[in-house]
Amino acid sequence: MKLTIERTALLKSLGHVQSVVERRNTLAILSNVLLTAGPEGLSLNATDMDLEIVETAPAEVVGEGATTAPAHTLYDIVRKLPDGAQVELSFEPEDGQLTLRSGRSRFALAALPAGEFPAMSSGAYGHTFSLAAGELRSLIDRTRFAISTEETRYYLNGIFLHAADNGGVAVLRAVATDGHRLARVEMPLPEGAAGMPSVIVPRKAVAELRKLIDEADDDITVSLSESRIRFAFGSATLTSKLIDGTFPDYERVIPTDNDKLLEADCKLLHQAVDRVSAISSEKSRAIKVSLEKGSLTLSASSPEAGSAVEEIEAGYEGPPLEIGFNSRYLLDILQQVDGDAARFAIADNASPTVVQDVADQTAVYVLMPMRV
Amino acid sequence: MLRRLPATLVNQIAAGEVVERPASALKELVENALDAGATRIDATLAEAGRSLIAVLDDGRGMTPEEMELAVERHATSKLPDDDLLDIAFLGFRGEALPSIASVARLSLTSRPRDQAADSAWRLTVEGGEKRDLVPAAHPPGTRVEVRDLFFATPARLKFLKSNRAEQAAAIDALQRLGMAHPEVAFTLSDGQRRMVDLPALPPDLLADPASARLSRLTRVLGRDFADNALAVDAEREGVRLVGHIGLPTFTRSTAQAQYLFVNGRPVRDRLLTGAVRGAYQDVLAGHRHPVLALYVEIDPREVDVNVHPAKAEVRFRDPALVRGLIVGALRHTLAQAGVRTATTVSQQALGAVRPEGSAPLARAGQGGRQGWHGGWGTWSPAPPSAEAIAAGMASQAPAANGLADQGRLAGWELPPQGRDPANQSDPAPPPEPPGADHPLGVARGQVHDTYIVAETPDGLVIVDQHAAHERLVLERMSAALAESGVPRQALLIPEVVELDPAAAERLAARAEELADLGLVLEAFGPGTLIVRETPALLGETDVQGLIRDLADELAETDHTTALKQRLGDVCATLACHGSVRAGRRLSLTEMNALLRQMEATPRSGQCNHGRPTWVRLDKTDIERLFGRR
Repeated sequence: MKLTIERTALLKSLGHVQSVVERRNTLAILSNVLLTAGPEGLSLNATDMDLEIVETAPAEVVGEGATTAPAHTLYDIVRKLPDGAQVELSFEPEDGQLTLRSGRSRFALAALPAGEFPAMSSGAYGHTFSLAAGELRSLIDRTRFAISTEETRYYLNGIFLHAADNGGVAVLRAVATDGHRLARVEMPLPEGAAGMPSVIVPRKAVAELRKLIDEADDDITVSLSESRIRFAFGSATLTSKLIDGTFPDYERVIPTDNDKLLEADCKLLHQAVDRVSAISSEKSRAIKVSLEKGSLTLSASSPEAGSAVEEIEAGYEGPPLEIGFNSRYLLDILQQVDGDAARFAIADNASPTVVQDVADQTAVYVLMPMRV
Repeated sequence: MLRRLPATLVNQIAAGEVVERPASALKELVENALDAGATRIDATLAEAGRSLIAVLDDGRGMTPEEMELAVERHATSKLPDDDLLDIAFLGFRGEALPSIASVARLSLTSRPRDQAADSAWRLTVEGGEKRDLVPAAHPPGTRVEVRDLFFATPARLKFLKSNRAEQAAAIDALQRLGMAHPEVAFTLSDGQRRMVDLPALPPDLLADPASARLSRLTRVLGRDFADNALAVDAEREGVRLVGHIGLPTFTRSTAQAQYLFVNGRPVRDRLLTGAVRGAYQDVLAGHRHPVLALYVEIDPREVDVNVHPAKAEVRFRDPALVRGLIVGALRHTLAQAGVRTATTVSQQALGAVRPEGSAPLARAGQGGRQGWHGGWGTWSPAPPSAEAIAAGMASQAPAANGLADQGRLAGWELPPQGRDPANQSDPAPPPEPPGADHPLGVARGQVHDTYIVAETPDGLVIVDQHAAHERLVLERMSAALAESGVPRQALLIPEVVELDPAAAERLAARAEELADLGLVLEAFGPGTLIVRETPALLGETDVQGLIRDLADELAETDHTTALKQRLGDVCATLACHGSVRAGRRLSLTEMNALLRQMEATPRSGQCNHGRPTWVRLDKTDIERLFGRR
């Protein structure tokens, strides 16, 4: 195997795949990236057995072939090479080393045989549809903050992606919750997605996917099977196993008849919560919201730091009400609201509160109050 | 064929419950001697009690008629009013002697206390067969000899452990009785060697029950115990709790050295284990157990001792009251002792501090930077340092007198010639004389930017600044939490936890107590709990795991410390981040402020991990180091 590649192209592709590789592995081959030189150029493949990214970079291939080399080391080297450099990669099966040459630098890296590299079985994908990069980004961005990190409830450790029916309109929905708050975002169901299985995309795949989307501007092709999801970009493909579990029946916890409505300027509220929460104690982050006709008062107190109060104007017509929230959860949600105003639908201080963007009804956020 | 069992067999079955090993036979016999009003009890074991257990007392003794009756089943003198609810003696079942007699060769020799020398008689029973009474020679009192224990029940004999283990159990049994009865002298020997020797206490000591107890406990638990024990004395609703508990820095690796006595009766009760764990919860290093002996005095009608054949367990009519009393009294006592740490710690330290010969002194002279090497390694007093200390110890000396700038003992860190006059004029506060009202003394400086050295009227105190401050922060956080309540995060999707029905019921019964700690749950059908709110402090937590831990703990100890523990862990982590680090230089004002806070804070003698936050070197110890004493 022998090829020459632009440092920039190699760095970009390596950057995408290397983050899949775990820092510590019990299986040496999993620390490596599979390099395959073919007519298409150089293909790079990294996996942690659950998630795989394959990316092809343009390269001038002199001799075809394949090998594997330590992903993080390789990335580190390429990153430190000067901008605009040409990189020559060569591998002779006899010496078992990958040789990297660039300018006056020469590196020899321990290679492991390509044959040992675990390939994710491709299998058949029953459903394929495509959606715009921007649409997928919006689905992910507005839900991922609510993904649970508690490992024991593994079925919450991802985004629940499924087709649903919202008042007669077929939609593609992304839902995430950690048991304290929930985010539900939807978009019109893309063509070909009807009848797709409901799947849970793991957190790590979501994070890697999000990085790839940033550089994609074309449509993204999504393929689904019962156990796998694949996102195909122009030159890169991300394949991930799905979380094998049942996502809870989230619709039941989204209240529809909360009658106390509050409308507030999103930015002002965000800033006020941020300021007042400087006082609330480090771990519990409790903040109290007191509602009165036409205004909203935020307050927090801690025996150590003191207390804080801030009042802002808000549209509220209901009876006076006090409700506690985790300020971090509140900030997370307000951050997702792009429009000027957010609408809160509240029942009482022990039941879930629904938050929506006044101008955009595609996202629904549910927040459980805190008892302080 | 259905038939009534012969009396011997009945007794052997009873013996299976009462006498399971030599130690239990010894315990029964010694308890009889105590009930007979003995002031001195001498026990002898041969082959760990297999071939002989002999107990000699100077009690009231028995007449020949009483002896005949004593070996009959259910014959006792200890239930004068036939009232099982009002039990004033250790025994009452009338089972011990016949049970032992049915499985061994028993001989009783006794002379009633006030009768002539010719009124002593001996009665022998072999495997339940009574022999004739014969005249004997014996001082007033009774001698019971049990030979060849379990010869009549070979199966039991096979299940005995090694001689060493059986002997240890016998010693433990006798020591427990000894701790319960400091007014009686006890000895236990194996024919050659005295294994237990608890002499009678002088009458003047006996006049004060607390010091008599401590004296006896010290005899059993070792001299260290006296130096590290705190007296407990509390009363609630007619139940009195006295005794002595060890400091949290004086611990053992097992819970063996925890003794509970109820009305003078040694008992093992998981109530004690749980209550002790609860009381010591946040002052003890993990997996360490305090040493303590607690005496509960309670109206005999409020406690049922007739629940266990060997009476090793008792049942309180109101266990919550007793548990509350123990936890409350222990916590209160520990809090009072906030600024005491185990003397063993400072003794160990002192052991490591050895006066050095001339070599280190020479080195010190050259380098001038001698001081503490590797913590407690060696302490080589370099001449300049000594001077600096001396200057410091002359407590009225003003700051400029070579004492300290920026909380450093000058000369300890700086070479003497390198001392900058500018530094000396640094506005350090003038040191105040150490007063008696400040047990931790007055800060004199800081070494290695980690330890504060303070002077007290009678010694020297060294404080680990990080450990001490961490403790202060934690105490403050716990107090705040207790005052304002634990904030609870409601769950969007309530967590359903499946348990076995008994465990679920136990947890549901404590729902109110758990809600105070931020965990709201309710029963949801048999064996199922539904958790609606969790402590916000825990963030996103493993609810299932938490509930299971709590259920296990409730089953085992009747306590819910697991939740407090988790909250405590979070607080402790925060406290650790929020406290002064080792390596941070402190000014004298800051150091003194820390010392004063420690004095004012309960349980500040040990850090969150149970290590001491400070140690004291007495002036006499220092003098000894230098050969002045």
